[in-house]
Amino acid sequence: MVKKQKQKIILPPDLPPDINEDEIEVSDEDLQFVNENREYAGFVSRLDTKSITKHVTRVADVKEDALEALYEKRLKKKLLQREQEEDSKLQVDHVEALPIKTLDGQLKYRTVTKPSTASESGVTGERETGGDDEDDTAGKSIVKLTKAEKRAKLKKSRKEAKKQGKELDESEAEQTPQAVVLAEVKEDLTAEEAFENKKRKLAELGIALLADPESNIKSLKEFLQLCKDNDHAIVKLGLLSLLAVFKDIIPGYRIRLPTEKEQEMKVSKDVKKMRFYESTLLSSYKAYLQRLTALEKQLSFQQVAIRCICTLLDAVPHFNFRESLLGVVVRNIGSPDDVIRRLCCSTIKSLFKNEGKHGGEATVEAVRLIAHYVKDHNCQWHPDSIEVFLSLSFDEDISRPEKADEKNKGKNKKNKKRKSVEEPSQLQDNRRKRSKQELTEKMREEVNADYKAVAFTPNVAEQRRKQSETLSAVFETYFRILKHALQSIAARPEVDASLSAGGSGSHPLLAPCLKGLGKFSHLIDIDFMGNLIDHLKRLASGGSISENNSGKCLTSLTVSERLQCCIVAFKVMRTNLDALNVDLQQFFVQLYNLILEYRPGRDQGEVLTEALKVMLCDDRQHDMQKAAAFVKRLATFSLCFGSAESMAALVTLKHLLQKNIKCRNLLENDAGGGSVSGSIAKYHPYEKDSNLSGALASVLWELNLLSKHYHPAISLLASNISSMSVANNQVYLSNISPIQAFTDMSLERETFDPPSGINKSNNKRKRGIGSSISASVETSGETSSIDEDELRKKLSAHFMLLRDIKENKKLRSELEHVTSSLQQHKEYKQQKRKTTQRPKSKKKLV
Amino acid sequence: MRPLDEKETTVVLEKLLKFTDNNLQNIVYNPSHEGPDPNPGRYCFRLHKNKVYYVSESLVKRATNVARANLVSLGTCIGKFTHHGNFHLTVQALTILAPNAKHKVWLKPTSEMSFLYGNHVLKGGLGRITDAIAPGKGVVVFSMSDVPLGFGIAAKSAQDCRKLDPNGIVVLHQADIGEYLRKEEEL
Repeated sequence: MVKKQKQKIILPPDLPPDINEDEIEVSDEDLQFVNENREYAGFVSRLDTKSITKHVTRVADVKEDALEALYEKRLKKKLLQREQEEDSKLQVDHVEALPIKTLDGQLKYRTVTKPSTASESGVTGERETGGDDEDDTAGKSIVKLTKAEKRAKLKKSRKEAKKQGKELDESEAEQTPQAVVLAEVKEDLTAEEAFENKKRKLAELGIALLADPESNIKSLKEFLQLCKDNDHAIVKLGLLSLLAVFKDIIPGYRIRLPTEKEQEMKVSKDVKKMRFYESTLLSSYKAYLQRLTALEKQLSFQQVAIRCICTLLDAVPHFNFRESLLGVVVRNIGSPDDVIRRLCCSTIKSLFKNEGKHGGEATVEAVRLIAHYVKDHNCQWHPDSIEVFLSLSFDEDISRPEKADEKNKGKNKKNKKRKSVEEPSQLQDNRRKRSKQELTEKMREEVNADYKAVAFTPNVAEQRRKQSETLSAVFETYFRILKHALQSIAARPEVDASLSAGGSGSHPLLAPCLKGLGKFSHLIDIDFMGNLIDHLKRLASGGSISENNSGKCLTSLTVSERLQCCIVAFKVMRTNLDALNVDLQQFFVQLYNLILEYRPGRDQGEVLTEALKVMLCDDRQHDMQKAAAFVKRLATFSLCFGSAESMAALVTLKHLLQKNIKCRNLLENDAGGGSVSGSIAKYHPYEKDSNLSGALASVLWELNLLSKHYHPAISLLASNISSMSVANNQVYLSNISPIQAFTDMSLERETFDPPSGINKSNNKRKRGIGSSISASVETSGETSSIDEDELRKKLSAHFMLLRDIKENKKLRSELEHVTSSLQQHKEYKQQKRKTTQRPKSKKKLV
Repeated sequence: MRPLDEKETTVVLEKLLKFTDNNLQNIVYNPSHEGPDPNPGRYCFRLHKNKVYYVSESLVKRATNVARANLVSLGTCIGKFTHHGNFHLTVQALTILAPNAKHKVWLKPTSEMSFLYGNHVLKGGLGRITDAIAPGKGVVVFSMSDVPLGFGIAAKSAQDCRKLDPNGIVVLHQADIGEYLRKEEEL
């Protein structure tokens, strides 16, 4: 019942059929009822005709098409009203109250309490409009109609009502008469109760919505109203519960509002219902999003709003208004707030990973937005914002779609040519066949088109286009960052040292950018590559140049970053070289120098070892001079640093020696020179260029020292290497990568702590057995860690002692206190008479 | 025999610079260990009968004892001046270019012989190439086992080489060690 009344609310009073007053039949029952309840008819006389007309005109304004008809209607209506007024004047005397005929044809007798009960559902605000509506119907019932006519009219009006459903909802929302009621309630209840009530209300609404979204869709408005509450907690609760509701009821498709044409078309009841439902859902969703975006700018609500937005974007990326969601999320992806940033990043990442949900469109948009923001922020953003690109995934063959197409085209052309050559000869025979073929082809095309429209599997070409768009946006961002880093380096030498103290802070995006370039290196177009390598080269060398120039100035790029540049360059080259083997001389020179600049605490050892692996181990061949130079430098390097680094270096060194047999001359005891070492007769340890260092003229005496290394694994490896002879070319089985070696050792550093005595005996035993490196790694120890442990033990012993002393002192003082109090107690006992309370207190103290 | 005048020096050094870039200083300031002198001298350029020689200073001193007409050669001949005043490098310059070369090309074993007979280096014969080669730069050609075979001028940059078809010319031939046999009497 309630619902039907609501629908009626907005009905423009329909045209009354042109019936003479005489023809109006008034049933006897009616007459009788009216006579019995005279006082009820009072409202008829009090009819607010103005508001009625207003109401009518407002509704009428919406539809432009039917404007003329409406004007006519209005004219007629005015006439009717006059009639009604006359009627009421006449009739009120003898007809006092009128019953309402409901849609089912039942008569409803009005009582005083009716208006309030009508709005039971809690939408108390509807009272006024409801009243109006009832008035309308009452007014109508004055002009009595036959039952059939009435029903037809009602149906008609209901249709109109549904069409204008959306419109209505907004107007309803604007009125928000509920606030008034809520205010009253507030006065009555204490704040706490109100809070509880609101919470309960939220829960009720939420449950109702989840239970039957179709019929309760309207309560979304109420929800939204609640979210505008003054109480922060309520607003937050409301937002979150609305989020849960929306997450649940949003359909798996994008809602498209019907066009005007479609609205005019006749549709079945179900479709209408569906349309109403969808439009309501959409409008309230929109309002919700607007509220969220508004709240997102307020500091106190920011986290909640962001959380809601992120969850929504994650859950329903296919739905309408995705753009605004994305906009907010991407804006906050580089936010200084850790929680918000992490939320946004994870959302974007999941967006990239689950492309099936939205068919890849959101990915393109998100990447574009990020690129845009990076541009706007002049590459000074949080690194996390770029790191999300790492979770993008591309098809392997995306880089060469055009080639395949071209090939196909070529084939087609050839085929066509052939056909055209063949055709003239068999022209007549083929004509019929061809017409048939054409028909079938047409059919096939149509079927294909239909299938594509229906199929859920995304179009391959479409997807490829999207991916390439995404890729271009990603690389655009990367190149922008690289260029920016270069520019700032160029400007750096002039800038004061104090400014550059920020270190990596000046290029926050460079590290993730390089990582991304490394990951997507196989997708870079060859045309870009020259440029890219050039940039990387300058980046890798830029720091050292500025260091040389200014001296005091810190390198603008850290060693790790420069190493990363080298690694990326190599990866890019390697993945793209199918035919040509390019020797990246410049980068080797950079690495050669960077090895010396490495500091274990400051720089990441992982990066260095990766560089060693990528550049030295994986590369197919080196020229002799370079290999020798690196061998020498790595040996020197392994002398200086901790076991992990030196292990990695030694593994690389071994690898180099295995590959370059000529370099094993370094292992010979006499200093080389002469023809072997080329034109450079002397080893220049400070030479910048690896090719000119003349390392072949030197001897690897470092290995001898390393074989006495405290770490058994290293000493074993060193002696192993030095026993490698020039003649035999055996391949060693235990070939671990430098990265692996490094991680092994650095892990061990944390866990290992046997006393040194046992360690030594272990070493001897292990050497006797001659087991592999890894075996000895397991049991070997490190004096540094042992030292630390000893130190820790000593310190703990020291502190234990100190604590004991303190405790002793405390105990002693307590003892003294007790004894003194006991003495006093005795004294007081002797003076029994005077005091009885004091000793008690003393006892307490004791 | 006389030192080069200014014009000649610039021509020679520019030629060498094409191959060596900033490694040119290693050639010019290379200390020599020839002769019994306790302090090592330098190497210097000398012009004799239109040919330019790369000679150590001690050798130059001793060569003054020989009459100009009787002096056939001294040190390493690195090239000769044509009648027009142009300077051409000869194969012997390879010994000083190879260790200081900036731009290198390694040949596959199959295409070594072709180059040693005086042909250009084609892309198909390319085993390896240093990056950042610009067209017009001097390139030293090596075998895969790092034996210098000769030198030439780059026809294409390293980037362009990728797109080149296998028969495209990468390095234009200037000199190769095959000339020691083929042009024995000229050298």
